[in-house]
Amino acid sequence: MNELLEHGLNQNRRKFLSKISLGLGGLGLGSLMVPDIFDRPDKADIISKVLPHFAPKAKKVIYLFQNGAPSQLDLFDYKPMLQKMHGEDLPASIRNGQRLTGMTSNQTTFPLAGSRFNFSQHGSHGGWFSETIPHIADIADDLCIVKSMYTEAINHDPALTFFQTGAQVGNRPSLGSWVSYGLGSDNKNLPAFCVLLSKGKGNGQGVYSKLWNNGFLDSIHQGVQFSSGEEPVKYLSDPPFIARGDKRAMLDEIAALNQQSYEKIGDPEIVAKIQQYELSYRMQMAVPEITSLKNEPESVVKMYGPECLVPGSYAANCLLARKLSENGVRFVQLYHQGWDGHGNLPSELIGQCKDVDQPSAALVKDLKQRGLLDETLVIWGGEFGRTNYCQGPLTRDNYGRDHHPRCFTIWMAGGGVKPGMHGETDEFGYNINSLPVHVHDFHATIMHLMGINHEAFTYKHLGRRYRLTDVSGNIINDLIA
Amino acid sequence: MSAPKWLALGRNALWILNPFLGIIAYYHQEINFSIYFQWLGKMHPMLLHFPIVMGLGIAGYYIFSTDVKKMSPLFSPLLTVHSLITTIIAIFGIFLSKQGSYDNNLIFWHQWGGVGFAYMSWGLMSLHEYNDSFKTLYSFRALFSILFAGILIFFTHKGAQLTHGTHLLSWPEEEFNRELKINLDNTATLYERAIGPLLQQKCLSCHGPEKAKGDLLLNSPDNILKGGKHGAILMSQNNTNSLLLERLFLPLSDENHMPPEGKLQLTKEELSLLNYWVLSGVNLKIKMNELAQSDSLFLLAHHWMPSIPYSDRPKTKFPNLEKYNSNYCTAYYSYTGSDNIEVSFYQGEFYTHENLKRLTPIQSQIVYLNMQNMPLKDEDIAFIAQCEHLQKLNINYTQLTPDQLFPLKKLTQLKSISICGLAYDEETWHAFFKNAPFDKIHLWSENLDTPQIDMIRKAYPKINFTFGDNLKNNLIKITSPIIDQDSSIITDYLDINITHFLEGTEIRYTTNGTDPDSLSSSEFKNPFRITDHTTIKAKAFKSGWISSDVIQKTFYRSEISPDTIFLITQPHRQYPGNGIQTLVDYQLGDQNFSNGKWLGYLDDNMVFVIGFHQNKKLKEARFNTLIDNASYIFPLTSIKVAGSLDGIRFKILNEIKFPSLKKDDFKIENKSFNCPIPGENSYKFYKFTLTNLKNLPDWHPGKNTPAWIFIDELFLN
Repeated sequence: MNELLEHGLNQNRRKFLSKISLGLGGLGLGSLMVPDIFDRPDKADIISKVLPHFAPKAKKVIYLFQNGAPSQLDLFDYKPMLQKMHGEDLPASIRNGQRLTGMTSNQTTFPLAGSRFNFSQHGSHGGWFSETIPHIADIADDLCIVKSMYTEAINHDPALTFFQTGAQVGNRPSLGSWVSYGLGSDNKNLPAFCVLLSKGKGNGQGVYSKLWNNGFLDSIHQGVQFSSGEEPVKYLSDPPFIARGDKRAMLDEIAALNQQSYEKIGDPEIVAKIQQYELSYRMQMAVPEITSLKNEPESVVKMYGPECLVPGSYAANCLLARKLSENGVRFVQLYHQGWDGHGNLPSELIGQCKDVDQPSAALVKDLKQRGLLDETLVIWGGEFGRTNYCQGPLTRDNYGRDHHPRCFTIWMAGGGVKPGMHGETDEFGYNINSLPVHVHDFHATIMHLMGINHEAFTYKHLGRRYRLTDVSGNIINDLIA
Repeated sequence: MSAPKWLALGRNALWILNPFLGIIAYYHQEINFSIYFQWLGKMHPMLLHFPIVMGLGIAGYYIFSTDVKKMSPLFSPLLTVHSLITTIIAIFGIFLSKQGSYDNNLIFWHQWGGVGFAYMSWGLMSLHEYNDSFKTLYSFRALFSILFAGILIFFTHKGAQLTHGTHLLSWPEEEFNRELKINLDNTATLYERAIGPLLQQKCLSCHGPEKAKGDLLLNSPDNILKGGKHGAILMSQNNTNSLLLERLFLPLSDENHMPPEGKLQLTKEELSLLNYWVLSGVNLKIKMNELAQSDSLFLLAHHWMPSIPYSDRPKTKFPNLEKYNSNYCTAYYSYTGSDNIEVSFYQGEFYTHENLKRLTPIQSQIVYLNMQNMPLKDEDIAFIAQCEHLQKLNINYTQLTPDQLFPLKKLTQLKSISICGLAYDEETWHAFFKNAPFDKIHLWSENLDTPQIDMIRKAYPKINFTFGDNLKNNLIKITSPIIDQDSSIITDYLDINITHFLEGTEIRYTTNGTDPDSLSSSEFKNPFRITDHTTIKAKAFKSGWISSDVIQKTFYRSEISPDTIFLITQPHRQYPGNGIQTLVDYQLGDQNFSNGKWLGYLDDNMVFVIGFHQNKKLKEARFNTLIDNASYIFPLTSIKVAGSLDGIRFKILNEIKFPSLKKDDFKIENKSFNCPIPGENSYKFYKFTLTNLKNLPDWHPGKNTPAWIFIDELFLN
């Protein structure tokens, strides 16, 4: 008996570990046969191959964000009770101790403020619309009006950030960035996510680039801001005397250098940079044609209102949004400032509606007549609502309203939503009676309309998988056609 | 007990081979094996029978011999050899799997079954060698052996199905002739056109001459009428209770549903076809051309085509659809797992027919095509007209002639078409809509008026038209022109250009302060030059529009600039502008108070002093200010000016008060305040005091707090 050999064959810890090294050798040998095993393809590539998860109803989104929170009680949510009880105190049973902002929590009384405006019913569903938005009332039959939206945020910045990124704190990717990441650009000469800003004369609240930030996604998914003026996209045009061929040669050289440093360092942002240079090179050709509104027929100019020729106006942005969207931009985000009616709400509201009413309706009509509305989702709304009681002094014709997150109204059109009035608030317009739609639910529903399962669409960052809807959000089937 | 050296080597080899097998099995889809490996792969079917027989032998031996000690000493080496052979053959199997087009599902189970079996075999060897309870407990050994044999049988069966077909063990059956004969002639009977072939495809495998389940034969009209063991299946006189329909319409989960679960099912259209046919009295003789063209039966039969069973479907998958994409063309599947392809083209200036022709291999799968704004020609239309499965087409603004557009009516699947921007006359439109297959037409054209549109809607009630708004003749107020001169301060001269965004707009202007009108005011043609304080008013006119509001802009002349200037009171820390320089930098701030071009005062009045090297006589001082009362910025309430020769003792020269704003008068505007300086005396220093409103009025939300003033420029004359 060869004891040495027998010892060698005995299974003990040392032996086991040394044999595992043989196993590692086997694994290594096998892995040699798998190409790029340690350099897996870009996550985004894999994602785009599995999305959309199912047949999308909306291919593109145009989000008309009414920044500052328009008063639902003066536009869509008609409450005769408030007019009847104008000036009387908000019953404590309705408020039920819910928190108020620091701007009105010190008020000794909360006098109810009935809307100064007349309401009338429109469309086959008989929804109520205030006299300030006649054009939107005209397209009532195309609108899916949700009167029962709610949010937790009580101030502009967190509420806006919540609506745009699914979280009240910053640094998460914007809705548009998620869509860009998931579905990519349809037109390779334009970014998948574009942002247009305008400002009304009403009391304004800021917009800031974190709202269209890519968060932890690749920076290629950041929203590209278009501005008014000679250069719609900043830093896009070449300096004088640079020929396009020279530019091409320069980009090729820079890309080669960047590629080298990517191979050396491996930072994915370098690849994003190369892609951005390429995109901007192609955008140089596409953007001037698309941002020029001069070739629009006069009839279209009249539909949006002649303001649509003034660069930087809301009307011009609506028209531009249509042009971008029909040219394959997945997500066009507009912001219109000036809805924060803490005081003098009626007069400010009239001004805001003058800016917004006709172009918003025109955009829906324009998409419809081109056959694009059934594949484009238009969303109109703010970050929360406004209170039924008055902030500051109250008269019959003048009042202010504070922030109200517990119920507010948004509307959507096209893109697979079901037209009609959805959800009900109580007779004071303070709490929701039926079909509460939370911001997460709203996001889940938009994702669903775009063919994305919001629960399966994740991105791993800092050791956990993130979703736009975080750990909640239900699809609201009542809103889907 | 000693093991020979070769056995030890073999066991070590297992440590290498098994992880190797694991990794190539996991990544097998991504590996491209070289020709040598492929040759080795061919050994798999030849060698695999050894380990199967050995494996079953081993399992049997374990089950039938109860005492390990009595086992043959050869058994231990046999286990090692078996494990080695199994692993090697499994590796060969992976090599082989890349070569044939096998059913993915079967491959999956066979592959992982094989890998699992190789690992179990290794495990068996290890247990036998090293595990005490395995040696002592018969039940453990027997249980393991049964599992071992079970997995072996399961996965080798999957393997056998790969090579010999899924039904290799089913009872021999005469090959069923599935060739369908469909008579597409007009003179064919309904039965020949659709009913017969439909029954043949979906029912005959069980109710044909080979099987005749339930004694029912569906292969000829006579047999259909005869019925089966439950009697007639279609009652031709009173069809309220037809066994055929009853069975067809049962839910799929019902045991009696036909065709049974797992067989190719009837489509919705096929169900309707049989339903109409039975309910309309089971006419076996009627010919297609005897049916009315609008008859549901005719339509359903006319469009009927045999279903393509999913597994045999001759579809081409393009995992690499990316290669049909270019910078100007995007093609993608409607969604993951769909065969439908959606294609969009962008940027017409780069479009050529080649771009479209490239898509020929995927042409029949295109269901959505967006060619808006593309310069389409005859050959493009010919291509589109051949996209037989096209459902939605967008050819807005492609300037097609009627001759080009009309062939698209042949696309029977095309349900939605967008053709905006075509300027056809009414007659041409009618010709186009007649017998068109479309459900939806998006047609926005400035050429059709409301009565014409109403006529069209009435004439084609089945088509859902979207005409859009034609506002060409609506009177709407045009926007004001733009006075295109950024500077407002004339030091020498300024050139004034007036523009308008809408082309062909007539601009009229005045420089004398009166409102321009379309008759007497001069029309702006070319830029002109101004040298003195001027207020320009301009207005836009255009036919078809209401003329615009008047826009005005004032240009200031600044003759004198002070030699020195300094602030006595400092601006509010939030709006320091560019210090005192803000007043004399010749740049006017706009209507944005936070742009850094303004000096803002809230708590203090604005007090500053200007000085000259020599005494200077000033006639007036003019201040440019901002009013934005929603932001608490109000007009100045007064300007006080004082003069001094020494900079210490000042003498008040003038004080002017200005009215405040009226109630609820919210506005944002730039306003200039003028302060004349009377008298003939010259001074070396002048001191100005600009006061703000100390208490906002009651109608303002900020009542009882002070108002802001914003100043950005001083003009001296």
